[in-house]
Amino acid sequence: MAEVHVIGQITGATGFSESSLFCKWGVHTGAAWKLLSGVREGQTQVDTPQIGDMAYWSHPIDLHFATKGLQGWPRLHLQVWSQDSFGRCQLAGYGFCHVPSSPGTHQLDCPTWRPLGSWREQLARAFVGGGPQLLHGDAIYSGADRYRLHTAAGGTVHLELGLLLRHFDRYGVEC
Amino acid sequence: MAAAGPSVFLLMVNGQVESAQFPEFDDLYCKYCFVYGQDWAPTAGLEEGISQITSKSQDARRALVWNFPIDVTFKSTNPYGWPQIVLSVYGPDVFGNDVARGYGVVHLPFSPGRHKRTIPMFVPESTSKLQQFTSWFMGRRPEYTDPRVLAQGEGREVTRVRSQGFVTLVFNVVTKDVRKLGYDAGPLDTQGVLGPGPPQGLPR
Repeated sequence: MAEVHVIGQITGATGFSESSLFCKWGVHTGAAWKLLSGVREGQTQVDTPQIGDMAYWSHPIDLHFATKGLQGWPRLHLQVWSQDSFGRCQLAGYGFCHVPSSPGTHQLDCPTWRPLGSWREQLARAFVGGGPQLLHGDAIYSGADRYRLHTAAGGTVHLELGLLLRHFDRYGVEC
Repeated sequence: MAAAGPSVFLLMVNGQVESAQFPEFDDLYCKYCFVYGQDWAPTAGLEEGISQITSKSQDARRALVWNFPIDVTFKSTNPYGWPQIVLSVYGPDVFGNDVARGYGVVHLPFSPGRHKRTIPMFVPESTSKLQQFTSWFMGRRPEYTDPRVLAQGEGREVTRVRSQGFVTLVFNVVTKDVRKLGYDAGPLDTQGVLGPGPPQGLPR
């Protein structure tokens, strides 16, 4: 079986209108993939930047997969939330990106979006906070029912992921 | 009889903790330590270190330079748990107490070659304003009891931090038998300059 190591970190995020951000992340893979070591999901710390506008998380990711097929290449899905001084959390954006498929270190910029609601909900979000959220997280990384959504752009999440592949050449796979 | 292939690979990293950018703080020293998985063991070099105390230069750069050497070799059977370097920076507050000014963590690079990384440094923050004032006044700021916890992902969801500086590190990486064991670490990348840089206006 071929093996894939994903070793890196979720560095931080820029471009969000709120500061004090944290990110919930998870990895989704197809049926041919098996996670041998590592945690499949997690949540970063809440960072309030003092310099510039990039919130830094430096959240380590270390995953070891074994795979029998190429379908269902791992996808990292992210939810960025902001937390205010009272401890209330508000959704800032959803995003996903595929784990790179070529070995080596990669800098990734993952764009995010958030669902807009009706004009009433948008007004309420501006004054009181809150706003619509997805009921099921799989809409973040699958295209199935996306046509129902009307969304606005959030900021960008920056990741640095390194990829180590093992035995891919034995199976004739070129990456 | 065919010779048995290697079962262990080696990772040799040397380099330095080069410099820091902390606009609001001065007279800082840093400590580093390595955190690695169960399949890893250090075979040579130092696993921890404490640097000298540095002050900002008088010229326009206002640079904080440590030039503090790092030299370590690890052996392992499995890339899971790849070593990370955890840096902690400390300095005096206005009352003279030693307080944490930043913690940062980054994985050691895995492709052979020279790598420069600038990592953000953050400190934990109390949630209540009263506690922030008391800790400022008493000189007992929130800090991590063991900075190694930063190398894991678990448990970070309850911490609030404030990022307030950057540290630049340089690594030279040499590996042995990583390819023989079947791993492909990608193109060799020399003079790689990776990692988020400080925002515009701060010296690199």
